Amino acid sequence: MCAGVAEIVGALGVPHNPFSALLVAQDADGAAEPRRLYGAVAEHLHAMRPDTLIVFTTDHYNLFFELSVPIFAIGVAESTSGPSDYPMLPHYDVAVDAVLAKQIQTAVVDDGFDVGMSQEFELDHTITAPLGVMIPRMDVSIVPLWISTSMRPIPSARRCYALGSAIRGAVERSPLDRRVAVVASGAFSFEVGGPRMSEDSHVGVPAPEWALRVTELLAAGDIEALISETTPAQLAAAGNAGGEILNWIAMLGTFDAGAPLFIEAQRAEGHAFAAWSAR
Amino acid sequence: MSVYAVDKVCRRVVCEPGFADRLREDPESALRAANPPLSDSERELLLAGDVGRLGRMGANFFLLHQLGRFELFGLTLPSYAQRIRTEYRSERAGWRAG
Repeated sequence: MCAGVAEIVGALGVPHNPFSALLVAQDADGAAEPRRLYGAVAEHLHAMRPDTLIVFTTDHYNLFFELSVPIFAIGVAESTSGPSDYPMLPHYDVAVDAVLAKQIQTAVVDDGFDVGMSQEFELDHTITAPLGVMIPRMDVSIVPLWISTSMRPIPSARRCYALGSAIRGAVERSPLDRRVAVVASGAFSFEVGGPRMSEDSHVGVPAPEWALRVTELLAAGDIEALISETTPAQLAAAGNAGGEILNWIAMLGTFDAGAPLFIEAQRAEGHAFAAWSAR
Repeated sequence: MSVYAVDKVCRRVVCEPGFADRLREDPESALRAANPPLSDSERELLLAGDVGRLGRMGANFFLLHQLGRFELFGLTLPSYAQRIRTEYRSERAGWRAG
Protein backbone atom coordinates (compact mmCIF):
# COMPACT_ATOMS: atom_id res chain seq x y z
CA MET A 1 0.00 0.00 0.00
CA CYS A 2 1.49 3.25 -1.13
CA ALA A 3 -0.03 6.32 0.45
CA GLY A 4 -0.83 9.14 -1.96
CA VAL A 5 0.08 12.74 -1.47
CA ALA A 6 -3.47 14.06 -1.41
CA GLU A 7 -5.18 13.82 1.95
CA ILE A 8 -8.51 14.67 3.54
CA VAL A 9 -7.73 16.97 6.44
CA GLY A 10 -11.18 17.71 7.84
CA ALA A 11 -14.85 18.19 7.19
CA LEU A 12 -17.70 20.59 7.79
CA GLY A 13 -21.46 20.58 7.72
CA VAL A 14 -23.34 23.84 7.21
CA PRO A 15 -26.79 25.04 6.18
CA HIS A 16 -27.28 27.32 3.17
CA ASN A 17 -30.25 29.55 3.98
CA PRO A 18 -29.84 32.37 1.44
CA PHE A 19 -31.48 34.88 3.75
CA SER A 20 -28.88 34.28 6.49
CA ALA A 21 -26.11 34.96 3.98
CA LEU A 22 -27.95 38.08 2.85
CA LEU A 23 -28.15 39.36 6.44
CA VAL A 24 -24.40 38.88 6.80
CA ALA A 25 -23.66 40.51 3.43
CA GLN A 26 -25.78 43.54 4.37
CA ASP A 27 -24.59 43.58 7.99
CA ALA A 28 -28.28 43.78 8.85
CA ASP A 29 -30.18 43.07 12.05
CA GLY A 30 -30.03 39.34 12.65
CA ALA A 31 -26.57 38.96 11.11
CA ALA A 32 -24.85 38.27 14.43
CA GLU A 33 -26.11 34.72 14.91
CA PRO A 34 -25.30 33.34 11.42
CA ARG A 35 -21.98 35.20 11.53
CA ARG A 36 -21.13 33.57 14.87
CA LEU A 37 -22.07 30.05 13.75
CA TYR A 38 -20.48 30.19 10.29
CA GLY A 39 -17.51 31.87 11.97
CA ALA A 40 -17.10 29.07 14.51
CA VAL A 41 -16.98 26.50 11.72
CA ALA A 42 -14.81 28.70 9.50
CA GLU A 43 -12.21 28.94 12.27
CA HIS A 44 -11.75 25.18 12.05
CA LEU A 45 -11.83 25.30 8.25
CA HIS A 46 -9.02 27.88 8.10
CA ALA A 47 -6.95 25.82 10.57
CA MET A 48 -7.21 22.88 8.14
CA ARG A 49 -5.41 25.01 5.48
CA PRO A 50 -7.24 23.30 2.61
CA ASP A 51 -6.23 23.67 -1.02
CA THR A 52 -9.50 22.19 -2.25
CA LEU A 53 -13.00 21.78 -0.86
CA ILE A 54 -15.14 18.89 -2.01
CA VAL A 55 -18.67 20.22 -1.55
CA PHE A 56 -21.64 17.86 -1.37
CA THR A 57 -24.80 19.74 -2.19
CA THR A 58 -28.28 19.56 -3.70
CA ASP A 59 -29.01 21.35 -6.94
CA HIS A 60 -32.12 23.45 -6.29
CA TYR A 61 -33.56 22.89 -9.78
CA ASN A 62 -31.08 25.43 -11.13
CA LEU A 63 -28.69 23.13 -12.98
CA PHE A 64 -30.26 19.76 -13.72
CA PHE A 65 -33.83 19.65 -14.90
CA GLU A 66 -34.84 19.36 -18.54
CA LEU A 67 -32.10 17.30 -20.14
CA SER A 68 -31.06 15.05 -17.29
CA VAL A 69 -31.29 14.70 -13.53
CA PRO A 70 -28.29 12.65 -12.39
CA ILE A 71 -28.52 10.99 -8.99
CA PHE A 72 -24.83 11.82 -8.48
CA ALA A 73 -22.81 14.29 -10.55
CA ILE A 74 -19.42 15.97 -10.22
CA GLY A 75 -18.30 19.30 -11.65
CA VAL A 76 -15.16 19.04 -13.80
CA ALA A 77 -14.96 22.56 -15.31
CA GLU A 78 -11.86 24.71 -14.72
CA SER A 79 -13.83 27.48 -13.08
CA THR A 80 -17.34 28.55 -12.24
CA SER A 81 -19.31 31.37 -10.64
CA GLY A 82 -22.49 32.03 -8.78
CA PRO A 83 -25.01 32.20 -7.34
CA SER A 84 -27.25 31.71 -10.35
CA ASP A 85 -30.47 31.90 -8.36
CA TYR A 86 -30.24 34.78 -5.85
CA PRO A 87 -28.97 37.88 -7.67
CA MET A 88 -29.11 39.92 -4.44
CA LEU A 89 -26.39 37.77 -2.85
CA PRO A 90 -22.68 38.48 -3.40
CA HIS A 91 -21.42 37.00 -6.66
CA TYR A 92 -18.21 34.98 -6.74
CA ASP A 93 -15.88 33.56 -9.36
CA VAL A 94 -14.70 30.21 -8.02
CA ALA A 95 -11.81 28.03 -9.15
CA VAL A 96 -12.60 24.36 -9.67
CA ASP A 97 -9.97 21.69 -8.99
CA ALA A 98 -10.74 20.02 -12.31
CA VAL A 99 -7.74 17.68 -12.19
CA LEU A 100 -8.78 16.23 -8.86
CA ALA A 101 -12.46 16.20 -9.92
CA LYS A 102 -11.68 14.11 -13.00
CA GLN A 103 -9.50 11.74 -10.98
CA ILE A 104 -12.31 11.29 -8.47
CA GLN A 105 -14.89 10.65 -11.17
CA THR A 106 -12.72 8.06 -12.91
CA ALA A 107 -11.91 6.31 -9.65
CA VAL A 108 -15.45 6.11 -8.31
CA VAL A 109 -16.88 4.96 -11.65
CA ASP A 110 -14.24 2.20 -11.53
CA ASP A 111 -15.57 1.45 -8.05
CA GLY A 112 -19.14 1.04 -9.31
CA PHE A 113 -20.54 4.50 -8.53
CA ASP A 114 -22.15 5.88 -11.68
CA VAL A 115 -21.31 9.54 -11.10
CA GLY A 116 -22.14 11.76 -14.06
CA MET A 117 -20.30 14.97 -14.79
CA SER A 118 -20.98 18.55 -15.70
CA GLN A 119 -18.35 20.31 -17.80
CA GLU A 120 -19.99 23.73 -17.68
CA PHE A 121 -22.12 24.95 -14.80
CA GLU A 122 -22.98 27.79 -12.49
CA LEU A 123 -23.17 27.39 -8.74
CA ASP A 124 -26.36 28.15 -6.88
CA HIS A 125 -26.74 29.64 -3.41
CA THR A 126 -26.26 26.24 -1.75
CA ILE A 127 -22.51 26.56 -2.35
CA THR A 128 -21.85 30.28 -2.64
CA ALA A 129 -23.95 31.37 0.37
CA PRO A 130 -22.11 29.34 3.04
CA LEU A 131 -18.68 29.59 1.40
CA GLY A 132 -19.08 33.31 0.84
CA VAL A 133 -19.67 33.88 4.55
CA MET A 134 -16.83 31.56 5.62
CA ILE A 135 -14.27 32.42 2.89
CA PRO A 136 -15.14 35.91 1.61
CA ARG A 137 -12.00 36.03 -0.61
CA MET A 138 -12.96 32.65 -2.09
CA ASP A 139 -9.25 31.82 -2.41
CA VAL A 140 -9.76 28.08 -2.51
CA SER A 141 -10.64 25.58 -5.25
CA ILE A 142 -13.75 23.48 -5.08
CA VAL A 143 -15.00 20.17 -6.42
CA PRO A 144 -18.81 20.27 -6.45
CA LEU A 145 -20.56 16.95 -5.97
CA TRP A 146 -24.31 17.10 -6.49
CA ILE A 147 -26.58 14.52 -4.91
CA SER A 148 -30.18 14.48 -6.12
CA THR A 149 -31.91 14.72 -2.75
CA SER A 150 -35.07 16.65 -3.70
CA MET A 151 -36.63 15.08 -6.76
CA ARG A 152 -37.77 11.50 -6.25
CA PRO A 153 -36.28 8.96 -6.57
CA ILE A 154 -33.47 9.90 -4.20
CA PRO A 155 -30.54 7.67 -3.25
CA SER A 156 -30.39 5.82 0.06
CA ALA A 157 -28.40 6.97 3.07
CA ARG A 158 -26.19 3.89 2.86
CA ARG A 159 -25.46 4.49 -0.81
CA CYS A 160 -24.50 8.11 -0.11
CA TYR A 161 -22.20 7.03 2.73
CA ALA A 162 -20.60 4.46 0.42
CA LEU A 163 -20.09 7.14 -2.23
CA GLY A 164 -18.30 9.25 0.39
CA SER A 165 -16.07 6.29 1.24
CA ALA A 166 -15.27 5.76 -2.46
CA ILE A 167 -14.35 9.43 -2.81
CA ARG A 168 -12.08 9.08 0.20
CA GLY A 169 -10.34 6.20 -1.53
CA ALA A 170 -9.98 8.23 -4.72
CA VAL A 171 -8.43 11.16 -2.85
CA GLU A 172 -6.08 8.93 -0.90
CA ARG A 173 -4.89 7.25 -4.11
CA SER A 174 -4.36 10.58 -5.89
CA PRO A 175 -0.73 11.58 -6.46
CA LEU A 176 -1.73 15.25 -6.39
CA ASP A 177 -0.31 17.39 -3.60
CA ARG A 178 -3.58 18.48 -2.05
CA ARG A 179 -5.02 19.21 1.36
CA VAL A 180 -8.71 18.47 0.91
CA ALA A 181 -11.53 19.50 3.23
CA VAL A 182 -15.03 18.15 2.68
CA VAL A 183 -18.12 20.30 3.07
CA ALA A 184 -21.75 19.17 3.34
CA SER A 185 -24.40 21.79 2.57
CA GLY A 186 -27.95 21.42 3.80
CA ALA A 187 -30.56 21.03 6.50
CA PHE A 188 -31.96 18.04 8.42
CA SER A 189 -35.63 19.05 8.40
CA PHE A 190 -36.89 21.85 6.19
CA GLU A 191 -39.89 22.60 4.00
CA VAL A 192 -39.81 25.33 1.36
CA GLY A 193 -43.12 26.47 -0.06
CA GLY A 194 -44.95 23.25 0.75
CA PRO A 195 -47.96 22.37 2.90
CA ARG A 196 -45.84 21.82 6.03
CA MET A 197 -44.53 25.38 6.14
CA SER A 198 -44.96 27.31 9.39
CA GLU A 199 -47.92 29.59 10.20
CA ASP A 200 -45.94 32.78 9.62
CA SER A 201 -43.52 32.00 6.79
CA HIS A 202 -43.18 30.22 3.45
CA VAL A 203 -40.70 27.82 5.07
CA GLY A 204 -40.90 25.53 8.08
CA VAL A 205 -39.34 22.70 10.06
CA PRO A 206 -41.75 19.74 9.86
CA ALA A 207 -39.66 17.37 12.01
CA PRO A 208 -37.79 19.36 14.68
CA GLU A 209 -37.30 16.27 16.87
CA TRP A 210 -35.60 14.51 13.94
CA ALA A 211 -33.27 17.46 13.45
CA LEU A 212 -32.29 17.26 17.11
CA ARG A 213 -31.87 13.50 16.90
CA VAL A 214 -29.49 13.95 13.95
CA THR A 215 -27.53 16.52 15.94
CA GLU A 216 -27.28 14.15 18.93
CA LEU A 217 -26.06 11.28 16.76
CA LEU A 218 -23.49 13.51 15.10
CA ALA A 219 -22.29 14.79 18.48
CA ALA A 220 -21.92 11.20 19.67
CA GLY A 221 -20.17 10.11 16.47
CA ASP A 222 -22.78 7.39 16.00
CA ILE A 223 -22.78 7.43 12.22
CA GLU A 224 -24.11 3.88 11.85
CA ALA A 225 -27.25 4.80 13.81
CA LEU A 226 -27.63 7.94 11.72
CA ILE A 227 -27.50 5.91 8.50
CA SER A 228 -29.94 3.31 9.85
CA GLU A 229 -32.43 5.92 11.02
CA THR A 230 -32.30 7.94 7.80
CA THR A 231 -35.02 5.84 6.19
CA PRO A 232 -37.13 6.82 3.17
CA ALA A 233 -40.09 7.40 5.54
CA GLN A 234 -38.00 9.63 7.80
CA LEU A 235 -36.69 11.58 4.81
CA ALA A 236 -40.24 12.09 3.54
CA ALA A 237 -41.36 13.36 6.95
CA ALA A 238 -38.44 15.78 7.17
CA GLY A 239 -39.81 18.12 4.50
CA ASN A 240 -39.09 18.77 0.84
CA ALA A 241 -35.53 19.87 1.67
CA GLY A 242 -35.00 17.22 4.37
CA GLY A 243 -33.13 14.99 1.92
CA GLU A 244 -30.17 17.32 2.31
CA ILE A 245 -29.06 15.19 5.28
CA LEU A 246 -27.77 12.86 2.54
CA ASN A 247 -25.13 15.46 1.69
CA TRP A 248 -23.96 15.25 5.31
CA ILE A 249 -23.98 11.44 5.25
CA ALA A 250 -21.85 11.39 2.08
CA MET A 251 -19.45 13.83 3.76
CA LEU A 252 -19.25 11.54 6.81
CA GLY A 253 -18.16 8.70 4.52
CA THR A 254 -14.98 10.55 3.53
CA PHE A 255 -13.17 10.11 6.88
CA ASP A 256 -13.41 8.24 10.18
CA ALA A 257 -15.93 10.48 11.87
CA GLY A 258 -15.67 10.54 15.64
CA ALA A 259 -16.92 13.30 17.87
CA PRO A 260 -16.92 16.66 16.07
CA LEU A 261 -14.65 19.56 16.99
CA PHE A 262 -17.73 21.75 17.01
CA ILE A 263 -21.45 21.22 16.62
CA GLU A 264 -24.36 23.49 17.36
CA ALA A 265 -27.95 23.19 16.21
CA GLN A 266 -30.34 25.99 15.40
CA ARG A 267 -33.48 24.34 16.66
CA ALA A 268 -35.94 26.67 14.94
CA GLU A 269 -34.16 26.22 11.61
CA GLY A 270 -33.94 22.40 11.51
CA HIS A 271 -30.21 22.42 10.89
CA ALA A 272 -26.79 22.52 12.55
CA PHE A 273 -23.25 23.74 12.03
CA ALA A 274 -20.41 21.25 12.60
CA ALA A 275 -16.71 20.67 11.99
CA TRP A 276 -14.56 17.54 12.24
CA SER A 277 -10.88 16.82 12.10
CA ALA A 278 -9.97 13.92 9.83
CA ARG A 279 -6.93 13.03 11.92
CA MET B 1 -49.32 14.60 -18.29
CA SER B 2 -48.11 18.15 -18.10
CA VAL B 3 -47.52 19.12 -14.47
CA TYR B 4 -43.96 19.04 -15.75
CA ALA B 5 -44.94 21.98 -17.94
CA VAL B 6 -45.97 23.99 -14.86
CA ASP B 7 -42.75 23.06 -13.05
CA LYS B 8 -40.73 24.10 -16.07
CA VAL B 9 -42.39 27.52 -16.18
CA CYS B 10 -41.48 28.04 -12.52
CA ARG B 11 -37.89 27.00 -13.12
CA ARG B 12 -37.55 29.33 -16.11
CA VAL B 13 -38.59 32.23 -13.88
CA VAL B 14 -35.34 31.73 -11.97
CA CYS B 15 -33.01 30.44 -14.67
CA GLU B 16 -33.99 32.18 -17.92
CA PRO B 17 -33.07 35.86 -18.15
CA GLY B 18 -36.03 37.98 -19.24
CA PHE B 19 -38.70 35.34 -18.74
CA ALA B 20 -40.02 36.81 -15.49
CA ASP B 21 -40.24 40.21 -17.19
CA ARG B 22 -42.24 38.72 -20.08
CA LEU B 23 -44.59 37.09 -17.58
CA ARG B 24 -45.15 40.48 -15.96
CA GLU B 25 -45.68 42.36 -19.23
CA ASP B 26 -47.99 39.92 -21.01
CA PRO B 27 -48.52 36.85 -18.85
CA GLU B 28 -51.05 35.14 -21.09
CA SER B 29 -48.88 35.36 -24.21
CA ALA B 30 -45.79 34.25 -22.34
CA LEU B 31 -47.65 31.23 -20.97
CA ARG B 32 -49.18 30.37 -24.36
CA ALA B 33 -45.66 30.22 -25.79
CA ALA B 34 -44.51 27.70 -23.16
CA ASN B 35 -43.03 24.45 -24.39
CA PRO B 36 -44.19 21.84 -23.57
CA PRO B 37 -47.61 23.53 -23.76
CA LEU B 38 -49.68 24.15 -20.66
CA SER B 39 -53.23 22.83 -20.58
CA ASP B 40 -55.97 25.47 -20.54
CA SER B 41 -56.64 24.83 -16.86
CA GLU B 42 -52.95 25.02 -15.92
CA ARG B 43 -52.60 28.33 -17.74
CA GLU B 44 -55.72 29.71 -16.06
CA LEU B 45 -54.59 28.57 -12.62
CA LEU B 46 -51.18 30.18 -13.14
CA LEU B 47 -52.76 33.44 -14.33
CA ALA B 48 -54.98 33.41 -11.23
CA GLY B 49 -52.01 32.67 -8.96
CA ASP B 50 -53.93 29.62 -7.72
CA VAL B 51 -50.88 27.85 -6.34
CA GLY B 52 -53.01 25.78 -3.97
CA ARG B 53 -54.75 24.02 -6.85
CA LEU B 54 -51.51 23.67 -8.79
CA GLY B 55 -49.93 22.05 -5.75
CA ARG B 56 -52.86 19.66 -5.47
CA MET B 57 -52.37 18.74 -9.10
CA GLY B 58 -48.80 17.69 -8.31
CA ALA B 59 -46.72 20.74 -9.16
CA ASN B 60 -43.45 20.92 -7.22
CA PHE B 61 -43.79 23.20 -4.19
CA PHE B 62 -40.21 24.39 -4.18
CA LEU B 63 -40.59 25.48 -7.80
CA LEU B 64 -44.07 26.96 -7.22
CA HIS B 65 -42.76 29.17 -4.42
CA GLN B 66 -40.54 30.94 -6.93
CA LEU B 67 -43.73 32.55 -8.30
CA GLY B 68 -44.14 34.23 -4.91
CA ARG B 69 -40.47 35.12 -4.63
CA PHE B 70 -40.49 36.79 -8.04
CA GLU B 71 -43.92 38.37 -7.35
CA LEU B 72 -45.68 37.01 -10.42
CA PHE B 73 -49.42 36.52 -11.09
CA GLY B 74 -50.26 38.88 -8.21
CA LEU B 75 -48.40 36.76 -5.66
CA THR B 76 -45.92 37.69 -2.98
CA LEU B 77 -44.13 35.23 -0.71
CA PRO B 78 -46.63 35.89 2.13
CA SER B 79 -49.68 35.55 -0.13
CA TYR B 80 -48.18 32.45 -1.76
CA ALA B 81 -47.73 30.91 1.68
CA GLN B 82 -51.25 31.85 2.76
CA ARG B 83 -52.77 30.21 -0.33
CA ILE B 84 -50.89 26.97 0.31
CA ARG B 85 -51.90 26.99 3.99
CA THR B 86 -55.53 27.60 3.04
CA GLU B 87 -55.58 24.79 0.48
CA TYR B 88 -54.04 22.36 2.98
CA ARG B 89 -55.95 23.57 6.04
CA SER B 90 -57.44 20.19 6.92
CA GLU B 91 -54.19 18.26 6.51
CA ARG B 92 -52.36 20.85 8.60
CA ALA B 93 -54.90 20.47 11.39
CA GLY B 94 -54.28 16.73 11.32
CA TRP B 95 -50.50 17.19 11.47
CA ARG B 96 -50.79 19.55 14.44
CA ALA B 97 -52.99 17.03 16.23
CA GLY B 98 -50.83 14.14 15.12
